[in-house]
Amino acid sequence: MKQIALYGKGGIGKSTTSTNISAALSVMGLDVLQIGCDPKRDSTRMLMHGRLIPTVMDQVRERGDKAITQEDVVFTGYGGVRCVEAGGPEPGVGCAGRGIIATFQVLERLGALHADVVVYDVLGDVVCGGFAMPMREGYAQEVYLVTSGELMSLYAANNICKAIRRLSGRSRGQCRLGGVICNAKNLPDEKQLVATFAERIGSTLIQFIPRDPVVQRAELNRMTVIEYAPGSDQAEAYRLLARNIIENRRLDIPEPLEIAELEDLAYDFIAD
Amino acid sequence: MISSRTEGCTLTGALSVTSSVQDAITVIHGPDGCAHHNFSLLHALHFDNDQLILPSFLSSSLKEQEIIFGGEQALEDALAGALAGSPGAIFVLTSCVAAAIGDDVMAVCSEISGCPVVVIPSGGFLGGGFSDGVRSALIALSDLADGGDPNGTVTLVGEKNLEYEAEANYHEVRRLLGLLGVKVQLRFVRNIDVSAIAHLGSSSLNILREESLTDVGDVLEDRFGTPYLPSFPVGFEGTLTFLSQVADALNIGSREAVSSEMARQKEIIDQFSELRGRAINVCHPGGMPPLFLNELLELFDLQVKERGQNLPLPDPVPVGTSGISRMLSRWKRVLHA
Repeated sequence: MKQIALYGKGGIGKSTTSTNISAALSVMGLDVLQIGCDPKRDSTRMLMHGRLIPTVMDQVRERGDKAITQEDVVFTGYGGVRCVEAGGPEPGVGCAGRGIIATFQVLERLGALHADVVVYDVLGDVVCGGFAMPMREGYAQEVYLVTSGELMSLYAANNICKAIRRLSGRSRGQCRLGGVICNAKNLPDEKQLVATFAERIGSTLIQFIPRDPVVQRAELNRMTVIEYAPGSDQAEAYRLLARNIIENRRLDIPEPLEIAELEDLAYDFIAD
Repeated sequence: MISSRTEGCTLTGALSVTSSVQDAITVIHGPDGCAHHNFSLLHALHFDNDQLILPSFLSSSLKEQEIIFGGEQALEDALAGALAGSPGAIFVLTSCVAAAIGDDVMAVCSEISGCPVVVIPSGGFLGGGFSDGVRSALIALSDLADGGDPNGTVTLVGEKNLEYEAEANYHEVRRLLGLLGVKVQLRFVRNIDVSAIAHLGSSSLNILREESLTDVGDVLEDRFGTPYLPSFPVGFEGTLTFLSQVADALNIGSREAVSSEMARQKEIIDQFSELRGRAINVCHPGGMPPLFLNELLELFDLQVKERGQNLPLPDPVPVGTSGISRMLSRWKRVLHA
C-alpha cells in the first residue's frame, strides 16, 4: 500500500490535483482511497460528481463514535475511488486539528485505511500538530508539495518542508518528500523557477501541470478532468503525474530555505 | 522542570477563592476531571481543617467533540444549569483546554441575564500558578463591588482559605483591630455571600493577607481609593507596628492599643522563659532567616547551632502575637522545656 499526502498553500489546487491523481490511478486499475483532511470538506467533490459527502466528524457528532460504520463515512465515486472527508468545526470555533486526529482514530478503528494507494489531501498549511497527522508514522510516507511559481505559494511549500524535516528526524519517522508538483499560474519561466526551488530544497519537480481552462470547465460540470476530458492534454498531464508518483522511488529529507534565499530565488526569475 | 510545592494550578488558586462565596456557583469550563480533581482537593483540605465543605462546582464537561467543534454550547448548557440553582452569582473559570481552543467565554457569559456572571481566565498553561489564580479571582470578584464613602471599617483581602490556621489568623487580626476599636466589615473572600462583596469599596482600609497580593491591593486602591497594608502582622515588633499603621491609616490613636498589646507580649515572653538560652536549629527555606525569628532568638537568647534541637517553623509564617505564642508552645513541646 502506497500512502501519499498533498500539501500546499490554500487555493493552489491541491484538491483539483488530488482528485485527478486519484481518478487517473483508478483508470490504471488501482484501488484508491482519497481522504480530504480539511474542514472545508470539498476535497472529493469532483470525484462524487459535485456531492458534498457526510464527513467523519459530522457523523461522529450526530451518531456517536461507536455507532458509525465504514458505510457511513466511505463513499464510492468516479472509477470506484473511495472518498472520505474528515470535516471539522465551523470556521472560527473549536479545534480543526484535533478533528483530523479524531478522524484518523475513527478510520483506524473502522479498518478503513486500506487501498493500493491512499491519497491524503491536506489543508493549506501545517498550522498545528493535527494537520501533520497524515505525515506521522503509519500514514503517508511520501509528501508531494503543490505550488505555483508565486512567492507566497513557494513560501508555504517551504514551510511544509520544515514539518517534513521535523517528522523525518524522529527515530521511527518515515515521512519523506516525494517531489514538487508545479500547478502553474502561467507566470514566465514558472517551470524553471519551481524546478530550481525543488532542487534547492533537495528534491525534484515531479510534474509540471499547465494552466488550462479545461480544469474550470470540468469543475463546472462537476467532474475531474480525467473523466470530463480524457483526451485532453491536461488529462494527459495528470496521468503522467499519477504514473510518476507510482513509479517514484526518490524520497528526500528536504532542506528548507531561509526566507531571504527564497526571495532571492524568486527575484532572479522576475529580474530575468 | 521539577514540580514545586509552592506553586500549582491557576484554576485551583482561583477556585480556592470562588468556592468561599457561599451562595455562588462556580462553573468550570473544562473536562470533568478539572472539576472533580479540584473538588476533591478542596474538600479534603477543608476536611483536614475540620470543615465539611462541599464546593459548589459545575463542570461544562468538555469532551473531544466540544474540543473539535467548540465548547461554547457546552458552556451555555452549564450556565443554564447553574442559573437553575438561583445562585447569588456565577463564576466562570476556564480550564487549559478551553483557553487553548479559544472559546469566546466572555461573549457567551455576556448573554446571561438575571444573575451576575464573573469570568476568571484561569488556564494554567499560560504560565501562572496557584497564586496567580488567587490574584485573578480576587480582582475579578471586585467587579461585584459598589463604591462608597469610607466608613472607618477594614476589609481583609485574600485570606488563605486552604491554610490550617485561617480562622485562628482571622481571629487574631480581629482581636488586634478590636484593641483599636476598629471593625472588620468584609472578609474578601472567605465564607461570605455575594451581597457582602458590594461593601468592598466602602472600607477605609484594606489589609492584605500577604505581600504577594500587592497587585490586588493596587487594583482596589485604584478602583475605590482604599489604601492598604501589605500583610497581616508578623512577629512581636511587627504586630505593634501593625497596630500603629492601622491607626495612622484610619487617623485614630494607637497608644492604648499598643501598650496593651506590649503587656500581652511581655506575659507571653515570661510564660516561655524556659526556652531561654537553649541551643536550637531552625530550618527556614529561602536562605535568610525571617525577621520575626531573629527577634525571638534575641528575646530568648537562643543559640543557633548546627547540632541544636531542630525546631519547626510554620509555613505560612505565624500571624500576630497569638501566632508567635502558638509557635512557641510547639517549640516548648519539642524542647521538653
